[in-house]
Amino acid sequence: MARKKNQINDKALTVKRRLVAHTNPKLPVAEQYRTIRSNIQFSSLDEDIRSLVMTSSGPGEGKSTTAANLAIVYAQQGKKVLLVDADLRKPTAHFSFRLENHIGFTNVLTKKTKLLEAVYQTDIPNLSILTSGPIPPNPSELLASKNMDELLEIMYENFDFILFDTPPTLAVTDAQILSNKAEATLLVVSSGTTDRNAAQKAKELLTNAKARLLGVILNNRKIESKDYYYYYGNN
Amino acid sequence: MEETLTLKELFQALKKRLWLIGLITVITAIVSAVLTFFVLTPMYDVKTQLLVNQTKSEQQIYNTTELQANVQLINTYNVIIKSPTVLDKVRKNLSLEKSTDELNKQISVTSAEESQIVEIVVEDKSPEMAAKIANETAKVFKAEVSKVMNVDNVNILSKAVVKENIKPVKPIPALNILIGIVIGLIISIATAFVLEFSDKSIKTEVDIEKYLDLPVMGTVANIEEIPASPSRSSRVSNQASSRVRGESIGS
Repeated sequence: MARKKNQINDKALTVKRRLVAHTNPKLPVAEQYRTIRSNIQFSSLDEDIRSLVMTSSGPGEGKSTTAANLAIVYAQQGKKVLLVDADLRKPTAHFSFRLENHIGFTNVLTKKTKLLEAVYQTDIPNLSILTSGPIPPNPSELLASKNMDELLEIMYENFDFILFDTPPTLAVTDAQILSNKAEATLLVVSSGTTDRNAAQKAKELLTNAKARLLGVILNNRKIESKDYYYYYGNN
Repeated sequence: MEETLTLKELFQALKKRLWLIGLITVITAIVSAVLTFFVLTPMYDVKTQLLVNQTKSEQQIYNTTELQANVQLINTYNVIIKSPTVLDKVRKNLSLEKSTDELNKQISVTSAEESQIVEIVVEDKSPEMAAKIANETAKVFKAEVSKVMNVDNVNILSKAVVKENIKPVKPIPALNILIGIVIGLIISIATAFVLEFSDKSIKTEVDIEKYLDLPVMGTVANIEEIPASPSRSSRVSNQASSRVRGESIGS
C-alpha cells in the first residue's frame, strides 16, 4: 500500500518537478525555499555550512526537487553552488536540469575525470551541477572511499556551497555515509506520505552515522487558506 | 508511546472526513428507505375486544377486590389465548398454512390498565386475514375458556372489522430511515476514527516535533500546476549529441 502510494507520488513528482525557485521566483513556494535557506544559515553560528546532504526515509518524498530548488536559492544569493547528484542508484538531477549524464560524479570519484571537467554550468548564475554519471555496481563503497574525502576537499576549494542529493536512508546506506562526511544533513519528510516510524528510523540511522542533523523539511504540505503568508505579496 | 488526544484533534479527524461520513450516512438512509418501500411487506393490524366479567347474579355491586380478581384473571387469560390449545384450533378452523409459533408471533394480547377489557391484536400482511384470525381466536378462546376453567364469563365486545383506508402499522418509513441514518452515522464516524488513527504518516510541523524531536527548517507547499519554462543548460566540456539515461551507461 505504502509502496504503491510512493510510486504514484514519485511519478507525480517527476511530472511536476520544476525548478520553481528559478522559473517562478515570486511564487510563495519559491519563498519557502528561501526561508529554508535562511534557517540553514541561522542554524550555524560561527561559520557558514559549506556542505549539505539532502535525504529522506523513503523514495519519492521530494529530496531531489528540494535539493535543486535549494541549490537555486543559494545560487541566487551569489554563492558558488555545486549540486551533486549523489543518488547513484536512481539519479534525477539531469532530468530536472535537462542535462546529459555521460560523465558525472562516479567518473570523478573513480578519478577518471577531473571535477571541473565533469561539472555543468547551468543557465542559472553561480549554479553548477555534477550529475551522477554512469551507475556503478558499488555506490556505497565509492562514497565511503578515500577518494570521496579528497574530492570533498577539491569541492570546498572551488565552491562555496555543496549540496548532495542522496538516495533514501532506509533503502541504502549511501546517505548515511555522505551525511557523515558532509557538514550538515537535512531530512525531507513528505506530509501525508512519510510514515512516522520510518522517519524515526531514518533519524536514528543518521544519528548513528554521526551526521549533524540540522532539521526537517516538511514537503508537500497542504496549505490551508487561512495560512495568510501563503498569499502575502502574491496579488 | 503514550498518545493523548485533544477534543480538537477528534473534531478535526471528523471534519477531514466529513464527506465520507455524509456519504455513508446518505447510503444507509437510502438503503433503509428502499428496504422500507420496496422489500418489506406492509403489515396491518386488526383488533377485537373481549369483556371479562364474572356473571354472578347475586353480587350486584362491584367492589375493588373483585375487580382486582378480574384483572388477575385477565392475566391468566392472556396466557391462555396464546397457548397452543387455542392457537391450534384457530389454525385448524381457518386451515392456515402457518405453524402455531408463527401464529403466536402475529397475535398480541393487551389489556387496558385496571379494566376488564382484553384486546386481541392480530398483525398480518392482509387486513382481512388479520380480522379473520382475530375473530376466530376470540371465538375459540371463548369456547375454550368455559371448558378449561369452567366459567362462562367472556363476552366478545367488538368483533374485528377491516376499516376502510386501513394503513399498515409496519414498516414505519420515518422510523426506519431514522434508524438507517443513525446506523450510518455510527459506522461512518467509527470508520473516520479508524482511518485517522491507523494513518501513521507525518502531516504537520507539530507531528515532526512530536515524533522526531527535530527542528523544522522549512515547509514546502504542494507544488501544483506550475507552468514549465524550459531551462537548458550547457556543459562546459564533453558536449554529447545523443540524450541517454545514465542508468544505461556503464551497467
